[in-house]
Amino acid sequence: MSLSEANTTVKTDWNALGDDAFRMDLRAYFEKEFPDHLRFLPRRLRWSESRDWWIKLSKKGWLAPNWPSEHGGMGLAPGKLIIYWEESERAGLGRMPDQGLTMVGPTLIRFGTDAQRAQYLPKIIAGENVWCQGYSEPNAGSDLASLRTEAVLEGDEYVINGSKIWTSMAHDATNIYVLARTDKTAKQQRGISFFLLDMKTPGITLRTIRNIAGHEEFCQVFFDNVRTHKDNLVGKLNEGWTIAKGLLTFERLSIGSPRRPLQAFEQLDALARAQKLFDDPGFVDRYTQLKMDLNDLTSLYRRYVDKVRRGEALGPDVSMLKVFAMDTYQKLSELLLEAGAEYGAFADEITLGDEKIDLMSPFYISRPGTIYGGSNEIQRNILSKYVLQLPA
Amino acid sequence: MSQQDSSEHRLMLSDSVTDFARGVDVARVRKLRETKTECDRAVWKQMADLGWLGVLVPEQYGGMGLQLGDMAIVAQGLARALVPEPLTAAAVLAARVLADSNNNPLKKKLLEGLVSGDMLPATAWQEQAGTLDVSKISAEATPFEGGFRVNGSKRFVMGASSADGYIVSANSAQGMQLLWVPRNAAGASLMFDMLADGRQSGTLTLSDVNVAKENVINTGAAASASLARAIDHTAAIVSAELCGIMGRSLEMTLDYMKTRVQFGKPIGSFQSLQHRAVDLYIQQELSSAVLADCLGVLDSEPDAKARSAAASRVKARCTDAALLITRQAIQLHGAIGYTEDCDVGLYVKRAMTLAAWLGNGNTHRRRYAKTEILEGVV
Repeated sequence: MSLSEANTTVKTDWNALGDDAFRMDLRAYFEKEFPDHLRFLPRRLRWSESRDWWIKLSKKGWLAPNWPSEHGGMGLAPGKLIIYWEESERAGLGRMPDQGLTMVGPTLIRFGTDAQRAQYLPKIIAGENVWCQGYSEPNAGSDLASLRTEAVLEGDEYVINGSKIWTSMAHDATNIYVLARTDKTAKQQRGISFFLLDMKTPGITLRTIRNIAGHEEFCQVFFDNVRTHKDNLVGKLNEGWTIAKGLLTFERLSIGSPRRPLQAFEQLDALARAQKLFDDPGFVDRYTQLKMDLNDLTSLYRRYVDKVRRGEALGPDVSMLKVFAMDTYQKLSELLLEAGAEYGAFADEITLGDEKIDLMSPFYISRPGTIYGGSNEIQRNILSKYVLQLPA
Repeated sequence: MSQQDSSEHRLMLSDSVTDFARGVDVARVRKLRETKTECDRAVWKQMADLGWLGVLVPEQYGGMGLQLGDMAIVAQGLARALVPEPLTAAAVLAARVLADSNNNPLKKKLLEGLVSGDMLPATAWQEQAGTLDVSKISAEATPFEGGFRVNGSKRFVMGASSADGYIVSANSAQGMQLLWVPRNAAGASLMFDMLADGRQSGTLTLSDVNVAKENVINTGAAASASLARAIDHTAAIVSAELCGIMGRSLEMTLDYMKTRVQFGKPIGSFQSLQHRAVDLYIQQELSSAVLADCLGVLDSEPDAKARSAAASRVKARCTDAALLITRQAIQLHGAIGYTEDCDVGLYVKRAMTLAAWLGNGNTHRRRYAKTEILEGVV
């Protein structure tokens, strides 16, 4: 049976489908059904823009590729999941406020209670709950474990005070998951717990923060005597750090995909053709170096993808993929601006002959890539400590 | 060959190389600059007995008939131990050219001799620096008594100092000729320039050297295609050697960072050095991922364009990474890294020699740009 003919009321084993057939079915659907005006946007999608597509995918049973089928997901094996990502990226599907799918779902499936799963998972699938992530704080960025937002148990409720920052899409979210300190006497990582909160809970307020590109992408969230029932603690008390860390290696593989730098390369190609830059040996040198870097990134990425396909766990060495991918992406975005000469300072898309070229967006999009998800410097610390085993 | 056979071969090769490498005396490598040849024929014979010279040679000539992926294991392992013998020049470059020959008696004699270790061939194709184009030669082969009379001068011949004969490329009315010229042929003279690592780069001058018809290896388009393929394949195996060099060099550096104490702490505890070590490690891992990918491409025998692109990708990456890692090894060792007695220097010098042979990073990037980027531009 082909994927597109699948009846969604029947549980389909997508993993039994051949890789190529699976890929082609996804490709056809993404090309036909995703709204064209939302493809390849230089920013994340707002919930208002995402909602229809979310519901459409949900009805088709394709919303949660990484979740097991008993919770409404596609239950894809890792190899198939990578194909799903690749096809999403290829079709330019914008990034939706997807924390519920990528983080909350897998966390509850692994660490949650049956009651938590029953309460939250169906609402994520239905598009009723939109989640955001409360990790970083004004004084706990790279040093996340020093976070000071605290949760104190009073009767059946935890009382939460503090503040979270760089919370992407918090202004679109109905819910937030939060790391908070529950034991001030324990060593840093040990006294942290993982909570689920409704954004409408009294005491939660937020302030949007405009990013450098002028988009309202993230917020600061304030917690002022916010009371939540103790059933909203996920996993064991004081073990939130382990939960938070558990999902990160897979995220680093996704960040290390060469797909986004490849898209920026298409802009560079268009510019080079329009401006006859291939006649300039200085440009050709730098272009070639970056093209070869990108091909080599693909080789490195494929090595990890093959590992995942073989069912092997990814180790801390996957951090190198994020470092190299983001460094390469930034260099590429910088060449794009320099090669644009005077156009390299134009804030918006430019038109050269038949080509519409966006020189500035890759610069802005690539910039935080070396900061979020553990900065490249933090990744180097991880590699130094856990892979090279250099002394502290 | 099944995948299981292939991984078994690779495991066996890897084990035998590791055993051999354990017995290598670096003192000999350090003294190379005082000797006239890097090839110790007793060691060469041992390498032959272990089967390594025949990894790529078809089984009917006594070889193993395996792939570049197998040869890379041997080359990488021996390079780690700084083994100076001209394995790659003979058992890859010359072996590939000879295996393409239709001159069966000559092919049989030379390949069997190569595998047994009794006949060491070198390939004298290059005349200009900084090119990978096999047609950029001016050596001439003119018809003479049924064979050819050859004139020309060949440079940068690796493995020349102990070679028993040379595969020489020359232009003729029928296009390129690949000819076998024994070392003692009348009119052939050799000069040597010492390379950074103490090995020898040969210049072969041919003045009216007569080559009998029986010593023609290949002719015309088949000859130049065969040579071009052999060069690409060899560049990939040299890249494997560079991976061996950078691997051992980085290991030594990391060991040193863990034990050298300054300011009351191991220097490996300083973050600026940790991050530098990580960047070197990333380049090493990138090289090994690219090596694996490109060997796979080359072993699938794609068309000439894809083949050259793969060879250039891997040689450019491995060259740049090996030079970076070995040079930083000096810096991270400090003054001791700058001494004759420290092995770090041996790795820098071997890296430089391998980097410069068959196209350095710049040469390969230029070639890649030409075929993969500029030819597509309208």
